[in-house]
Amino acid sequence: MATRAEFLERIRREVERGGRSFEAEAAPRPPRPADAAEAVRRQMAERWPQALERFRDEFEKVAGVFHRVATAAEVPGVIAAIAGERSVREVLAWDRDNLGIDLLPELTSAGIGLAVAPPGGGEAPRLRHRAQAASAGIGVTGVDWVLAETGTLIVVSGGGRPRSTSLLPATHVAVFDRRRLLESLEQVGLVLEALHADPARTMSGAMINFITGPSRTADIELTLTRGVHGPKEVHAVFVDELVGPDGAV
Amino acid sequence: MSEQRAPAAFADRAGAALRDRFLQEALTIATTKFIGLRAESFAGFPAGSALRDRARAIKEATLQRLDVHLGQLADNVERLGGHVHWADTAGDAREIVLRLCRDRGVRMAVKSKSMATEEIDLNEALEHAGVTPVETDLGEYIIQLAHERPSHIIAPAIHKTKGQVAELISAVAKEPLAADAEVLTAAARVQLRQKFLEADMGITGANFAVAETGTVVLVTNEGNGRMVTSLPRIHVAVMGIEKVIPSMSDLVVFLAILARSATGQKLSSYTTLVRGPRQPGELEGPDEFHLILMDNGRAKQIAGSLREALYCLRCGACLNVCPVYRQIGGHAYGHTYPGPIGILLTAMLEGTGSVKDLAHASTLCGACKDVCPVRIDIPRMLVDLRRQIDTEHLAPAGERMVFRAARRLLSSPAAFSSAARLGRVLQRPFIRGGKLAKLPLMFARWTSSRDLPPVAARTFRERWKDLR
Repeated sequence: MATRAEFLERIRREVERGGRSFEAEAAPRPPRPADAAEAVRRQMAERWPQALERFRDEFEKVAGVFHRVATAAEVPGVIAAIAGERSVREVLAWDRDNLGIDLLPELTSAGIGLAVAPPGGGEAPRLRHRAQAASAGIGVTGVDWVLAETGTLIVVSGGGRPRSTSLLPATHVAVFDRRRLLESLEQVGLVLEALHADPARTMSGAMINFITGPSRTADIELTLTRGVHGPKEVHAVFVDELVGPDGAV
Repeated sequence: MSEQRAPAAFADRAGAALRDRFLQEALTIATTKFIGLRAESFAGFPAGSALRDRARAIKEATLQRLDVHLGQLADNVERLGGHVHWADTAGDAREIVLRLCRDRGVRMAVKSKSMATEEIDLNEALEHAGVTPVETDLGEYIIQLAHERPSHIIAPAIHKTKGQVAELISAVAKEPLAADAEVLTAAARVQLRQKFLEADMGITGANFAVAETGTVVLVTNEGNGRMVTSLPRIHVAVMGIEKVIPSMSDLVVFLAILARSATGQKLSSYTTLVRGPRQPGELEGPDEFHLILMDNGRAKQIAGSLREALYCLRCGACLNVCPVYRQIGGHAYGHTYPGPIGILLTAMLEGTGSVKDLAHASTLCGACKDVCPVRIDIPRMLVDLRRQIDTEHLAPAGERMVFRAARRLLSSPAAFSSAARLGRVLQRPFIRGGKLAKLPLMFARWTSSRDLPPVAARTFRERWKDLR
């Protein structure tokens, strides 16, 4: 079996043999990713209302359910209502620092159990959390970026924000405010460049998910069916006041 | 004539597909639907055309420094705590996966849809080694239960009826289930959820890999790509070397056109970016991440005649529009990758000799080139393959003789006229219902699956003299 050096040397020879027969360039890169991301933030500080409208429109086209509330204090009520309508007894959520909201009092008084992601890692907490995730009916997360042009929720994994919260429960509820809104995939490229260029943040999570509506398939006679492996329903709750940590991730 | 046996096999497979009435109907419905969804999606996306040009340029630029990008990808994966393996051949790639399974006591592996692992027949190798591979894409799960192969790159089970699917999933459930997509999908969800939670290893392909960040990108609609990279303790990604792209800025260009080309969605339900194993402070994710970089015939095309086929995103758009695929479906091609691009990829992976019949399974109409998100010139490469098959004497002797004769006739007006006069006489015993449906000798193969119009009583050239 080839070593890395042999393998790459062979490819280098093929590349040379092919010659640089024509000019071609990869996508233009932001010279200073952090500045580019900051420019996006400033643009969106002005333009978020249009982006929110567009998001709502696109999100509903992919069968998402959109909610809007004025204050963070109203969010637990929205979640309790979603749980009530679906007879859900167990809710799973990111930890309070990452979500920015304490769901416990309201859900407890509604007789609904809450499993919050433990801080940090470890084998025993992982297995305990997995069992909770597997039986919970709703998973509540924040969102790192909300992409308006496609109706997409972008979520980065990390401490207190496990991968499975938006995956295993049959209903996913994502909570966000205006600071998360982006208009275009091009902007997403810029903020991802900045995220990966920042050594303080670059190790924060190994997985980034772009979530565009519920899990779906058309593999049986092209009949569109939702919830094949991931959630059957996705809800986005927009809060007018600021909620959750300041920067993304 | 043993030389003709292999070509006949394709004709037999195609013939069987043409006689399969459900397949004919399913193919028409599926491909027509995909064509419409794609067209509608791009019609509402004026930036699409420029993005397709840019995506193509990115692929070209990346190939010109492929060694550098692969080195950078490997460095970053290792920096994040992942392992990188180098596979020259399909056999190497299989051996790497099997060794990992042996060393780590893996008994069950859950897989998300991956053409790269189809290409190396990984499931069969795993089974022989005592590891149970479980396909988790619903379409792939169905055909795994049926012991079949995918018939379409993105809709692997379009050839199955819901009745057939109900039988397969009922057998696992050990109870009779209704032939209803909703019921069957719900049952498969339960069956596979258990597998995700129990499996030791998750195996994926990669739609893209971003060199600068060490990120593997998976695009799925069902969420199985997320499951297999979040739950099992080991994640193995198998990717062809041409899947690497330089940066996140490049990635978003491809994301903007990939799902639109495949299913007409703006984005698929899930685009998953994974870097290495679980990171410090994270609760979930695998202990180990392995990236297998596979050549298997690709590198020699960087400077080869099939270079452009290395740009392919595996969206399946060229299958849907191909008048040949629309008639015969994926199985008739007889290889991992079906459709127009599949012929080129088969030639790349298995050599030109493996497509001496398939290279002709195209009308060269160019519809594939029109819809390709990275504008791969498939018809040009198919013509090149046909020329190569002729010059390397790979085609059957009879076929080469006919084409040599045709070349002489078509390049000499005098010879063409006399052949027409001669043909008019010789064809008489073979005309049935106004067609030449069965010719003898070296023409037999050509007419076994085609009808030829007879030479006209007065040819155009003869009439043209009078008209002038």
